[in-house]
Amino acid sequence: MTEFSPHVVLPLLVWGTLVGLDLVSVPQAMISRPVVAGAVAGAIAGDIEAGFRIGVLFELFALDVMPFGAVRYPDYGPATVGAVALGAGTPWELGLGISTAFGLILAVLGGWSLQVVRRWNARSIQRRAAALAAGESSAIRRLQYGALFRDALRGFTLTLTALVLASTLSESIRLDRQTAVAFTLVAIGSGLAAAVNSIVRASGRGPRLKWLIAGLAVGLLLAVLL
Amino acid sequence: MNRRLRALLRLFAVQGTWNYERMLGVGMGYAAEPLLEDLKAVDPVRHGEAVVRSAEFFNCHPNLAGLALGATTRAEYEAVAGPQIVRLRTALCSPLGSMGDQLFWAGLVPALVGITLVVVMLGARMGAIAGFLLAYNVIRIWTGYWSLRTGMSAGMKVGTAISSSWLPKAIEWVGPAAGFALGAAVPAVAAWYLGIFGWAGAIGAAGVAVAGFALTRWFGPGLTSVRFALLAMVLLLLFRRIGL
Repeated sequence: MTEFSPHVVLPLLVWGTLVGLDLVSVPQAMISRPVVAGAVAGAIAGDIEAGFRIGVLFELFALDVMPFGAVRYPDYGPATVGAVALGAGTPWELGLGISTAFGLILAVLGGWSLQVVRRWNARSIQRRAAALAAGESSAIRRLQYGALFRDALRGFTLTLTALVLASTLSESIRLDRQTAVAFTLVAIGSGLAAAVNSIVRASGRGPRLKWLIAGLAVGLLLAVLL
Repeated sequence: MNRRLRALLRLFAVQGTWNYERMLGVGMGYAAEPLLEDLKAVDPVRHGEAVVRSAEFFNCHPNLAGLALGATTRAEYEAVAGPQIVRLRTALCSPLGSMGDQLFWAGLVPALVGITLVVVMLGARMGAIAGFLLAYNVIRIWTGYWSLRTGMSAGMKVGTAISSSWLPKAIEWVGPAAGFALGAAVPAVAAWYLGIFGWAGAIGAAGVAVAGFALTRWFGPGLTSVRFALLAMVLLLLFRRIGL
């Protein structure tokens, strides 16, 4: 179980906020990829193994997301941070399933919060429509800084909610070993389904499919050797 | 600070004001501000018009937005007619969106993620993460710099500059690389997770994976992978509750 003390919670809050901002607004440096968000969150929470186990599983789910145009998608960044906070300190084979369920709900909530911020941005632009039409650069700057602040607030609120819930759940959820393992296996199976779905959809029938099959052969060899 | 560098840095936040009305429009206006500063002294009226145009509706892949920004800025300095600049901006939306999505979201990012996952499975943990971030950001920053420079030098001829550049070839190359990397990563990740559960656990997880794959493909967007996972977990809880 994660120790929810200030020296763990505050860095997790900062990290979750940065990861939330990175998804769309700034700087899109890919720190919001679950494998990155999870690894760093695991290091902060003192359980790197949990960070990687949870981060890699959420990465499989995230592969199913193609952020094209105006498509709506879950926000896996702060969700991964919250899931790691819940799962850290527990043997991963017992904690991965419940952390994944928790994180997936947070990811859906994060995706919804993204829509709220986008609508908020649109209203803000409408309020400054006259200044924009007059070509005022200062109006553009104010809109941009306001929108960045709103997205940072979104990431912060999501992470704070995740940490409060994780702290409560870690005290209250008690699963027997068999159920916990079954949960973990369902989570792993679902993640693999998402990843396979994504790569099959993206491979098509051209040269990409041939390279996918070649990659699968290498992967199977690695699976045997690991 | 150099104006072009300021514009490049501001392009990293080009999606900051993303919304369903102007999409990247305001972010483009924000990035254009340093580039248009000189126009203010030369022709204040034209500068005002250029600022208005720079923040109008625009959408494309954020990492290639510099091509449109550079091209339209040069056109403003060359006193190209306003409606022609608007048409150029509109014409660039789809190709830059499509090429950027194929190059980054469907190519480079999954390719690097696949490689990172394999390296993590092989035991290099934080090194793999650092390598992923470094590789992606070097390519991305260089692409941003190249985009802005190419847009500024090509102006209204940016379409020709794009089609004769490295972009189309890179798109052809990076897609198969992504397929290969992810193809290698998925079985390795499955073995990494399922190794300790024995055959029974592996068969159970594989059953869930096959069901998830089939159902999410069958029901399409109505049943996403996240919804399937949550549904499967709820069903598991119900089965455990009734003693199955």
